[in-house]
Amino acid sequence: MKEGTAGERIEVLWQERPRDRFVRASLLAGATVMVAAWGLGDFDWSDLFSARRQANLARFLEGVRPHPLQGVAWDWGGAWTWARDLFAARGAGAMATTLGISVLAISLAGLVSLVLSLPSARNFATVDPFAAPRPGTSRGLRFGWALIRRSTRGALIAMRSIPEYLAAFLLLAIFGPTPWTAVLALAVHNAGILGRLGAETIENIPSRAPASLRAIGGRRSQLAVWVLLPELLPRLLLYFFYRWETCVRESTVLGLLGIVSLGFWIDDARTRGHLDALVFYVALGVVIVIVGDLMSSLARELLRRAD
Amino acid sequence: MAADGIRTPNPVGVRVILITSGVVACALAWGALGLGLSDLVPTSGGLSLAGRFFARAFSPAWQSEARFVPDGTPPLLEVAFEATLQTLILGAAAMSLALVLGLALGFAASSAWWSGAGPESRRGVYGMLRRSFLPFLCGASRLLIVVMRSVHELLWAVLFLAAVGLNDLAAVFALAIPYGGVLAKIFSELVDEAPRESARSLRGLGASGLQTYWFALIPRALPDMVAYGFYRFECILRSSAVLGFFGFPTLGLYIRQSFNATNYGEVWTFLYALLILVVAADAWSGAVRKRVLA
Repeated sequence: MKEGTAGERIEVLWQERPRDRFVRASLLAGATVMVAAWGLGDFDWSDLFSARRQANLARFLEGVRPHPLQGVAWDWGGAWTWARDLFAARGAGAMATTLGISVLAISLAGLVSLVLSLPSARNFATVDPFAAPRPGTSRGLRFGWALIRRSTRGALIAMRSIPEYLAAFLLLAIFGPTPWTAVLALAVHNAGILGRLGAETIENIPSRAPASLRAIGGRRSQLAVWVLLPELLPRLLLYFFYRWETCVRESTVLGLLGIVSLGFWIDDARTRGHLDALVFYVALGVVIVIVGDLMSSLARELLRRAD
Repeated sequence: MAADGIRTPNPVGVRVILITSGVVACALAWGALGLGLSDLVPTSGGLSLAGRFFARAFSPAWQSEARFVPDGTPPLLEVAFEATLQTLILGAAAMSLALVLGLALGFAASSAWWSGAGPESRRGVYGMLRRSFLPFLCGASRLLIVVMRSVHELLWAVLFLAAVGLNDLAAVFALAIPYGGVLAKIFSELVDEAPRESARSLRGLGASGLQTYWFALIPRALPDMVAYGFYRFECILRSSAVLGFFGFPTLGLYIRQSFNATNYGEVWTFLYALLILVVAADAWSGAVRKRVLA
């Protein structure tokens, strides 16, 4: 490295750059899948630009204009009255429902994930938590802990693999269109995600505190309550707020299934062909998502600063 | 600061405030939704449906359960395979568009490649461009990103269905727009948060802002960008499956049809197909992330 011209040294550096066969193969495979998709899919560009589709689009753009103003000159006062009436009649209530569903769902998910992350953490759900395995522990005991750990991890994977919308669709048949359906569907999916993140956080705990408490005879429950919870809480809260943002988005959309969040009125406007109201409610959805993002990033910023 | 010199966290900690407001928010939400625990008790019809549905979890259908199967209908497993393939195809096609959008908008929304330039570049036509057009481009791109990612992919799908009607390209755009917005946001944040020391040395050697961006900032952010890209690929497959509920030929379409026809065995077949696809993508992207971020 020390000998040779600058060009030669750069050559050596280039050859010594970190390379990983698996990552390269994955990048190549990912690119291949994406290119192949365009060939394999049934994508009909000519249909998209056909006269029928263009007529649809023209009709849509016309219908988006607030209906009191259709066929007359644009008038801001009229548009304002129209928006205010829609907001007062349905928008405000639907926004409150949407937010309420997201808050309850993420809180439920957070509580459930607190419980589930413990038995799925490799260093906690084991015969000797936070310690090197001692020789001579019974095989049955080790097997038992492995079984607990693996089944919780499996349950968490299954929970987060089912998309919220799909879960809500299935739960709808059982509970009917009450807000609980949306709350439970969101809670299950997010508990799966938060549980995994929580388990990872426990596994990566930097301090020696759990090991010390264990060495003086602390039980697992004491470790969880007196060491893990206080030490990892800021991190877990970061994840909690980050997932709450997605919950706000999703609870809007779950209304499409018939639960009275914003999505319900979006679907209602679509089936009635009220395109102006459709776009208005979608815009309210944008507002609520932006408000949620701002609140969440404020909370996360506070947490980071306190840390 | 405590007297003994050990720094104590502020007495009423941020966590206490956040958790208290969380509890208050829950109470408010409970009231706003008018919830009662009695709503959690399923109707007797719902309960028996749940029993019949979950009873099939361990015996998914291998053949069509429809009473009347029209001639020429492919076997159920072939349908499930085709639906899984379509889920992958729509997701991957959308992901490729989202990556293009994300990289382009992420670049346009980042100020790192023009804002830190020295005084010498403030003069002339280029300097004028820098002062007027580039901040405008940056602000406009950021606004565009917010709108793109604040509308959920299913709402984009509703809008596209209302605007043009059912066409697979509508599904691709519906997925690509919000995913492109999220990728643009995260990519530009990753570049902004990338370690700066190589950028500073390149700047010291007289490199332009654009050169610094491409040769010092992007390479440092690249592992995180790759990791995040693979994570989003996993997410887009789930979203692509759900788009089937709106009539696109992905797994959601078949899940809805079989469920509405009360062929619960078939529902489980499609659910397991989705599970296999998602868990495989999860394992793949997890392995890539672990190696890239190590």
